[in-house]
Amino acid sequence: MKNSNVPAKSRGAVIFAHNTPTVDYKRIAEQASRLIQHTLKLPVTVFLETSQTQDNFRIGYAHGTEWYNGDRYRAYELSPYDETILLDSDYLILDDALLKILDTVDDYRMMTNNQTPASAANNSMGATSLSHVWATAVIFKKTNKAKQLFDLIGRIQRNYDYYRRLYNFSARNFRNDYAFAIADNIINGYQPSQGIPWTMLTADKPIKKLEIKNNNVILREENSAHVLPRQSIHVMDKDYLQSDEYVEFVDSICQTN
Amino acid sequence: MTDINQLVEQIKQSTDYQTNKRILREKITTDLHFAYNGGLFKATPELFSFVVCWNFEELFLEDTYQNPIKVNRKEFIDVCGQHYQMVMNRWHIEYEELKRARKV
Repeated sequence: MKNSNVPAKSRGAVIFAHNTPTVDYKRIAEQASRLIQHTLKLPVTVFLETSQTQDNFRIGYAHGTEWYNGDRYRAYELSPYDETILLDSDYLILDDALLKILDTVDDYRMMTNNQTPASAANNSMGATSLSHVWATAVIFKKTNKAKQLFDLIGRIQRNYDYYRRLYNFSARNFRNDYAFAIADNIINGYQPSQGIPWTMLTADKPIKKLEIKNNNVILREENSAHVLPRQSIHVMDKDYLQSDEYVEFVDSICQTN
Repeated sequence: MTDINQLVEQIKQSTDYQTNKRILREKITTDLHFAYNGGLFKATPELFSFVVCWNFEELFLEDTYQNPIKVNRKEFIDVCGQHYQMVMNRWHIEYEELKRARKV
């Protein structure tokens, strides 16, 4: 018997955005939300001004900045959806590939492969550490295993110095990528789970302009340009993401079908 | 603008064919994946040929995440074949465009 009062499983995207002295993440998250709603046709929940990670600083990123990235482990508890796509605000959703993962996910999946226009290589978290995973895009259902993952990420964050030494990270600051990699490894009996079976594209250099041309994305950097198929892009250049040019780019995307 | 400045500007607009080709191939790999009956499959000639050759109308296939997924043979052939055809066609079209793009 089917109970018509039982609602269908809810789906949506979640973004954490906490402004820093140099980066207006709220502004960036607003544009990211527009892209998600347009491309994935999903509701978006943005969490602002939640708790902070103490004394976290990132060098060589957005001119070197304080970094409030300590809430991600709360995504399981805070997400209003049964099935959630947890995204960084700097991940530009330009295709619907993640919906395939949402259709097939058991507990959780995350990005395990990354490339830049200059390099196809994925790196590790340190010379003798785990392979890099990317918390930029994590898809999860509200299951016991997913809850264990996020609880463990919280524990790793609270005891980060211990885990940093145990896993031989090269970086000293707290990174969600690392916490997710460790938690995933432990949860799966000290081996990594299968991640999203394709490669994320990261634009790691300063961007002069992004534009859509013949359904391709033209990425213009200082000294070169790339013709990319229309796909989601992880953008490291926060100056560009705060610019009016970026808003115009999102406008141009949202005006298309 | 001097000749040298013009030359520099032109170089900055140039695009690397090998990089674009690699990124396009990765995107096609992404797009070849499709969801079927709760499983995730990559449409490949091997998978398609195997299912076409199978003698029974129902079978179980291992998906990308190593789960056995119940498959209706005829339905799967339709879904997988159409998906493969659509993505490979797009790859060909976009690849031909890329070959022409040297400056953007």
